[in-house]
Amino acid sequence: MEKENFSPQESLQLIQSMIIKARRDMSDNSQYFLLWGWVTFIACTGQFILKNIVHYEKHYLVWWLVIPATIISIYMGVKERKKREASTYIGDSMKYLWMGMGISFFVLSMILSKMGWDTNIFPFFILLYGLGTFISGKLLQFKPLVFGGLAAWALGITSVYFNYDYQMLFAAASILISYIIPAYMLRSKNRSTIN
Amino acid sequence: MTETESLKLINEMIGKAKRSYITTGAASIVWGILIVLCSLLTWYQVYTKHFFDFDVWLLVFIAVIPQIYFSVKEKQKKKFVSHDERTMTYLWTTFGICITMLSFYDSKFNPNSATTLFMLMYGIPTFITGGVFKFKPMIFGGLICWVLSIASMYTDFAVDMLFMAACGLFAWLIPGIILWRRYKKQQAC
Repeated sequence: MEKENFSPQESLQLIQSMIIKARRDMSDNSQYFLLWGWVTFIACTGQFILKNIVHYEKHYLVWWLVIPATIISIYMGVKERKKREASTYIGDSMKYLWMGMGISFFVLSMILSKMGWDTNIFPFFILLYGLGTFISGKLLQFKPLVFGGLAAWALGITSVYFNYDYQMLFAAASILISYIIPAYMLRSKNRSTIN
Repeated sequence: MTETESLKLINEMIGKAKRSYITTGAASIVWGILIVLCSLLTWYQVYTKHFFDFDVWLLVFIAVIPQIYFSVKEKQKKKFVSHDERTMTYLWTTFGICITMLSFYDSKFNPNSATTLFMLMYGIPTFITGGVFKFKPMIFGGLICWVLSIASMYTDFAVDMLFMAACGLFAWLIPGIILWRRYKKQQAC
């Protein structure tokens, strides 16, 4: 766009449209929280049921659910990028935040496969859940995510005092509080803001 | 304020925000030196079996003093806080909270993998900071932390400490020096 053809009024209009777009991006972000929230919640509770009720030896296999979730997540990201005309500051920050979190979870899974699946690692997973949601909440200026992050950390500390089996339930609870509930609230808030 | 004035103000703020990031770097250097120093001292103790009477990692708490000094000094110079800076404050404060919690987890379980988890944590804010500012040395620094975190699963504690020193070097010290030199160069212009 040529600078001389760009009037001050048009510039302000552009800024206004960027603000509206940033709000819409916030709404889009909720779909990732919901996808990963539900997948992780099902995996945690599923592992608890398989280990303690069904007494299935390979209870950790339920975590293979993350593979289709990763594929869906990448598909959603590619589709969204095609739709997107310009990136927003919030969108960029969120992208790098969750890219970093994604790599960290992958690295942690590799560490866990070496350490053994019955290692007391859930408190660390819960710590990472809180980290991602707390920063997202601050970036999006959305308090339920901030409180969700704080609640996850509180659950992470408490879970240290319980054995491995119950730590799974703490992880499920932290996902519910820090991902799933705030994501539904974010979606409904942004739908009402845009409409 | 007219539309032209509004746009001028926005332009000025963008310009100021770009300049303001160059001023940072000192905190990164301090943390980098500290992590490299503590890791090498720990490696020396394990390697020579000559143990000091104090925990060298307590030096980390001493580093909080210059950290506060630099941030207060920088805050005094600034007339506004940009979105970038606010994001960084959230990110690094959260990192501080998580490192404290990880230390608690470490003291409770005392896992063999504590250094692995610490290196994993170091990678997170470094990678995100590098990505947000499109600053490649920090992106690479974050990735190096993660690679060394995985590698440390297959090595003994002494080697882990050398990996930890490498994390401090690549994630904070070298990027910090690059930022500092940019800042000095800009001041000279």
